[in-house]
Amino acid sequence: MDQNPRPTGILHSLGEEIIRIITPVSICMFLVVILVSILDTNSSNFSSFNTIATIAYDESTSDSEWDKFKGALLNSLVFVAVVTVVTFLLVLLFYFRCTKFLKYYMGFSSFLVLGFMGGEIGLFLIQVFKIAIDSFTYVLLLFNFTIVGVLAVFMSKIPILVTQSYMVIIGVLTAYWFTMLPEWTTWVLLVAMALYDLAAVLLPGGPLRLLVELAISRDEDIPALVYEARPIVDPRRNSIVQRRIWRNVDLESTESSQNQRIIANAEEGQRIITNAEEGQRIIANAEEGHELTAPLIERIRDHGLVGENLGLEGIGLGSSGAIKLGLGDFIFYSVLVGRAAMYDYMTVYACYLAIIAGLGITLMLLALYQKALPALPVSVLLGVLFYVLTRVFLEEFIVQCSSNLLMF
Amino acid sequence: MERSSEEVIPSEAAVLITHRTDPIRYNQNLDPRLISTSSLSRPEWPTIDGPLGLSEQDAVGYARKFFGFGFVLLPLLWAVNCYYFWPVLRHARSFPQIRPYVVGSAIGFMVFSAMLASWALTFTIGGERLFGHTWDELVMYNVADRYGLTGWI
Repeated sequence: MDQNPRPTGILHSLGEEIIRIITPVSICMFLVVILVSILDTNSSNFSSFNTIATIAYDESTSDSEWDKFKGALLNSLVFVAVVTVVTFLLVLLFYFRCTKFLKYYMGFSSFLVLGFMGGEIGLFLIQVFKIAIDSFTYVLLLFNFTIVGVLAVFMSKIPILVTQSYMVIIGVLTAYWFTMLPEWTTWVLLVAMALYDLAAVLLPGGPLRLLVELAISRDEDIPALVYEARPIVDPRRNSIVQRRIWRNVDLESTESSQNQRIIANAEEGQRIITNAEEGQRIIANAEEGHELTAPLIERIRDHGLVGENLGLEGIGLGSSGAIKLGLGDFIFYSVLVGRAAMYDYMTVYACYLAIIAGLGITLMLLALYQKALPALPVSVLLGVLFYVLTRVFLEEFIVQCSSNLLMF
Repeated sequence: MERSSEEVIPSEAAVLITHRTDPIRYNQNLDPRLISTSSLSRPEWPTIDGPLGLSEQDAVGYARKFFGFGFVLLPLLWAVNCYYFWPVLRHARSFPQIRPYVVGSAIGFMVFSAMLASWALTFTIGGERLFGHTWDELVMYNVADRYGLTGWI
């Protein structure tokens, strides 16, 4: 706790910010892996898993691989088409300034995810572990959990830790739902979403790019489900270190609907925009007196970072130096790792490292190019590549080594 | 990407990495001439998020609302209220406007969770011997099977 600033510079603060975003991503992936391991759904009757992602083709184990691949391709195309339409709808709504509607929609979708998905996964866990809880207690706990979660998503005046935890939980629940898709569909869907993200952000007509440009031109925030890391507060001066170096945006909408019920989840995808405002200002130098602190920090907050959850900022530094990451990223990373967990833990380790490496690469590219970049492609494509390589090569190698008692 | 190194946060990484912004530490790190005016029993910020949280004037409204809504069978909201305004709870005689609501939330949460825990434990431990036939009807996994609650996915 020394007062003298150590000459650590960028590595110290940027490293810490990166840690603050890698930690929740890792926790999300870890929880999904645990859920997948505990609730073995392959053996259950999930042939009746009807969603929009399997509407074109329902995979069964008896088909040939080429058939499965074609079916999966069809499914993914349908899904990506739906996502594109919904994103354009989002752009339209944002253009007509229906921000309130979008916020309520977000709250509603998080209510559905937390209430129904959370309830069902809770029921699965109860059945697996034979927990003798009675229905009143369970309903009460679920009710509490859901309502507080919706409040955490809606309002900004909830403890930051609670909001962050609920974001991670929503990511875990949605990712678990995605892992229940058939195998080939999942992998092809991941690749398709990565490519879609690439197209939607970089192409001039891409919906995400339009959305971000709208947001920047109006200097507003898109209402979106976004995980926001804690901004770094300079303890010497009891104020928020403000860095308007980057302003990154992540957005994507995914929609999944089922035959029996429609769940519309408007989560955010990946889009990174940098607003190259250099410089760094320390706000409210406390040595000048406490009276200045409160109003100036209010002004920073009004810029919508820790603000009304209208944060669209995805990966990168918001205007207060807080890293934000869209929830769609959490979900698809976790889906990848969860699907890898359904095969073996070896693939989990490989895919986890690939995703984290992809995340780091994306941040570096962001620093390099200073413009809108999608963050999903690098991680997902690396992850899929590592999964395939692990299954094909590494497993064979490890098995041979173990069976010949060479290495365990 | 440019940052002037002297303005980057120095050594308080330990404070920040643990994600706890204890307002007392902030007071200790301030300029010495301010420490005398801000004693340890008077934290600056009423919320646990420190300068990232609410100011004192806004806090009263939120504390009151959380306390009020907690009565709709939402003890978790009371718990969140206590967690959020932890500096208020910890330091007696600070923030006199907020304190009654936060203390009320703490008491409410403890009472409610005691009742709920006693009921849940009675149910679990007592089992069929205590409840007889109705135990099977009330227990969650049977309810789930009966109404097919896990088949929605």
